[in-house]
Amino acid sequence: MSKSKFSGIVLFGLVVTLSLMMLPALSEARNIKVGIIDTYSGPPAVFGNDALNGFKMAVEEINKEGVLGGKIEFTTRDEKFKPDVAMSMAKELVMKENVDVLVGTINSGAALAVSEAVAKTEKVPFIVWISKSEKITGELGHRYVFSCAENTAMAGKAGGVGLAKKPYKKYWIAGEDYEYGHAIADAAWRYLKAAKPDVEKIGESWWKIGESDLVPNLTAISAAKPDAVIFCTGGTGMTNCIKQINATGFSKNIHCWFHTAIDHAVLKPLGAEAPEGISGTIQYLFYYPQTPENKAFVEAFQKAYGNPPGFPAFNAYITGKMIAGAYKKAGKIDKEKFIDALEGLKVASPAGGMVEMRACDHQVIYPMHFGITKKLPQYDFVTASDLVTLTGDDVMPKCEDVLKTRKK
Amino acid sequence: MFDIAALGSQFFVGLSRSMILFIVTAGLSFVLGVLRVPNIAHGSLYMIGAFSAYSITKLVPGATGFWLALLIAPLVVALVSLIAERALFCHLYQREHLMLLLFTFALSLILGDLVKFTWGAEYKSIMAPKLFDGSVSILGASIPRYNFFLLIIGPLVAVGLWLFTNKTKLGKIARAAAVDREMVGAVGINVSWVFAFAFVFGCFMAGLGGALMAPTISISLGIDHNLIIEGFLIVTIGGLGNMWGALIGSLIFGLSQAFGVLFWPQFAIVFPYTAVVIVLLLRPKGLLKSVW
Repeated sequence: MSKSKFSGIVLFGLVVTLSLMMLPALSEARNIKVGIIDTYSGPPAVFGNDALNGFKMAVEEINKEGVLGGKIEFTTRDEKFKPDVAMSMAKELVMKENVDVLVGTINSGAALAVSEAVAKTEKVPFIVWISKSEKITGELGHRYVFSCAENTAMAGKAGGVGLAKKPYKKYWIAGEDYEYGHAIADAAWRYLKAAKPDVEKIGESWWKIGESDLVPNLTAISAAKPDAVIFCTGGTGMTNCIKQINATGFSKNIHCWFHTAIDHAVLKPLGAEAPEGISGTIQYLFYYPQTPENKAFVEAFQKAYGNPPGFPAFNAYITGKMIAGAYKKAGKIDKEKFIDALEGLKVASPAGGMVEMRACDHQVIYPMHFGITKKLPQYDFVTASDLVTLTGDDVMPKCEDVLKTRKK
Repeated sequence: MFDIAALGSQFFVGLSRSMILFIVTAGLSFVLGVLRVPNIAHGSLYMIGAFSAYSITKLVPGATGFWLALLIAPLVVALVSLIAERALFCHLYQREHLMLLLFTFALSLILGDLVKFTWGAEYKSIMAPKLFDGSVSILGASIPRYNFFLLIIGPLVAVGLWLFTNKTKLGKIARAAAVDREMVGAVGINVSWVFAFAFVFGCFMAGLGGALMAPTISISLGIDHNLIIEGFLIVTIGGLGNMWGALIGSLIFGLSQAFGVLFWPQFAIVFPYTAVVIVLLLRPKGLLKSVW
């Protein structure tokens, strides 16, 4: 072998070795894949679409500068509000699409199914963005599941604390007979009773989800003459219920509280016919507080999607920022490092201030607004007024209480 | 335990709820009786009726819009059903019931998506005209005014249906076709068009029900599924294909629901279904004579 030939082989070998050594570094600069499973058909689609828009907006902002040299890309699946479908779609996203993070679901049952059967077993981080069951980060929480949604414990506590300041004593509980309805009822009653021990529950009524005519329920409740009713409905069921409360004049004598009653997705379809004086709680309102950050967020969202952001858009926007923030902090695309980085991470809220992902139970900390519906001249639909904001500390259940439920 | 006012108001709201159920299920039962088609898409047509009513009231505001909606929305539904009948159903009447069940189920999914495509996923709401807006207090119980209107409309529709099926030639032919379609064809009547008419008429009722219900509910995707299950239960307990059975079934369903929530609110959901079970145990073929 001639000398020049030998050095040629050495040189070739060197180049190959070097380029092989370079490969992992190059592959680091790949895109981060997010798999979204949510409801895009049927009544919940209005919330699913809103969340997706919020997430898109966050991703567009993030991708301008990129994350770890790559971009965030996402793919969506419509689980049609069915837990079994959600579960198989999540598996497909993990096995075939090799997503780095799972995100989604409005349906608490679907969130729990994905959390147990996919996130936990496949060790893939899963961030819930609309589902509100407190079991997600409570009793059934684990290392791989996070929530960027306010949960029923937070909502119930906010409602309970807000209602305790009112003079009502005799309460009725009414709602749709499903996981969310019962979870919110239990939490609201638990915290109301703790804050004001002399309240009395005189009865409960539950109707099936999707029931269109609630007038017989309302007339039956008013026959029992409670001072106030804790309503546990969501989405279109809530719009329906509020509409029929107005038609029966129910709220003239009986105070009504709903979690998210002051959400504009619920109130806007009713226009000026929504009743005044109903109280509600929510973590985000596009018109309150009027911080410069919130104004800018609402303006950009309105321009991009033609309507103001609702709470799902807010949750999903924060989810996007959390994902980007955690990868930046982790320094590489690695599922375990991502989880460590996400614990305790703080990102800027589009409403102003910072939002923290609580490390102990993986539940995001949001303040909650408690308000009363009122017609204001600047809007053609009823909005919330007399708003009181309960801080994250006020509404969050204690870490040790949450972790206690897991040890059973 | 319960005062007269509570019992009276439950009876009243239950009765007005029954009227809507009757209008929708009378159409469902008519199609079942004449065409032998268990039309699951009937609920979707009810939903289209409600969404059409929304669009009409957006175009023509005020009370005029409401009355126009009651008139035009069922016609929109009738048009949709005419297209479906001439393009699809008319080729399938000879198929077995299971096939028809699957076919109409598929159609209901397609119509559901078409509604989303046309009107979007946001909830819609329309207002009743001033005349029927708000509530009236009777013996201390407050009842929505609109329910009074439903109580007037329901019997009017029932009388109209009776006149149509008993006094008009077309109605008589449709009834005859329900009993023996070969014979109707043998006397020289174009059975295909009788069927088309019967189908469109039944669907018109679904549209009317949707338009009437629209001012009282949040108009959203999915209102079809809820209704169609109740609808089939009602026509089953009433007697398949018997329109008066649909009336009795609706009354049983609506009233058992209204009193159920008064007497046992935690478990009110089971009341109307328990009533269905009891009726079917006692009379498995339904209360009135089934044409099947």
